[in-house]
Amino acid sequence: MALIFIRTAIIFITLLVVMRLMGKSQIGEMQPFEFIITLLIAELACIPMADSTIPLLYGIVAIVAIFILHQIVWLLNMWVRPMKAVISGRPSLVITREGIDEYQLRKNNLDVSDLIESMRAAGYFNIDDVYYGLYEANGSFSALAREQKTDSLAVTLIDSGRLNAHNLATCGIARGTLDGFLKEQGTKIKKVLVMTVDGNGRVYLQIRGKPYKILKIEAEKRW
Amino acid sequence: MVKSISLTLAALLLSICLFVFTERYLDDRFGKFYDAVDTLYEKTEQGKANAEDAEAVRTLWATERSRLHVFIPHNDITYVDHRLNTALSYIYTENYSDALANLEVVLQMAKTLPGNYKMSIENIF
Repeated sequence: MALIFIRTAIIFITLLVVMRLMGKSQIGEMQPFEFIITLLIAELACIPMADSTIPLLYGIVAIVAIFILHQIVWLLNMWVRPMKAVISGRPSLVITREGIDEYQLRKNNLDVSDLIESMRAAGYFNIDDVYYGLYEANGSFSALAREQKTDSLAVTLIDSGRLNAHNLATCGIARGTLDGFLKEQGTKIKKVLVMTVDGNGRVYLQIRGKPYKILKIEAEKRW
Repeated sequence: MVKSISLTLAALLLSICLFVFTERYLDDRFGKFYDAVDTLYEKTEQGKANAEDAEAVRTLWATERSRLHVFIPHNDITYVDHRLNTALSYIYTENYSDALANLEVVLQMAKTLPGNYKMSIENIF
């Protein structure tokens, strides 16, 4: 029985470390240890229930072990402040007044498209609709919104140095126009962290390592 | 807060009690079974084992196994069942050499099985 307890504890700790290393993209609105408990409890309850060759007591001991570990993690979170950051992680500020913080995104195993997706899910359709944006420790996205949001959907043209040709065609921007536009800004596609354009031809351009700029581009289509 | 801590400590304490009890219980039950099989083995070796001796061991194992099912995987019990029944059937037919071979296996299982559930590095990993 003690064997089951120790094995459960080892699996729990391993999963906790792995989940923390995976960053916020894998959690989905739960603390890492809560996510692991959800993951484990279902299996632990199911296996002895379905497999009659395993004593039911094995499942009960493993579930009690999970309960004890949960309580220990919870108490550590309450009593030892630095442990909370180690176990549950810290919020990550990914959008500042200078634009997107690529380092913070990478640290959480996220990229610009993940960020844009999270923003859309939170009701922001333009990157500069917010002053600050952050991923909470549980992986949810929070933002301090600007007083006035833009009224048009932004389309991503360049994401982490990669051109989205489909979106470029959707916007009715010729490749030559885009190249000329970037040349004017003294940059190339590969150096751009993100470039979006909305239906009014309003461009959000952030070159890697530099603050973002709001510019205008000639687009044939309006949306 | 106090309720949570008390509950956690109670669960931990109960678990530790269960671990200690299980280890001792398995040692004790398998020890008793080992002694019974060992006696039967000696009698078989001397060619004196009869159906009554075999039936006594079978009854003892039947009582023990019903409780052991709570603590160890049922497959392990089935292995012991299989070997013991084979050995006993050889005793009934007075085929002592085959009975000895199977009793030897049962003795080894009775000796090693409790160790499979003890705290040790090889069992954990």
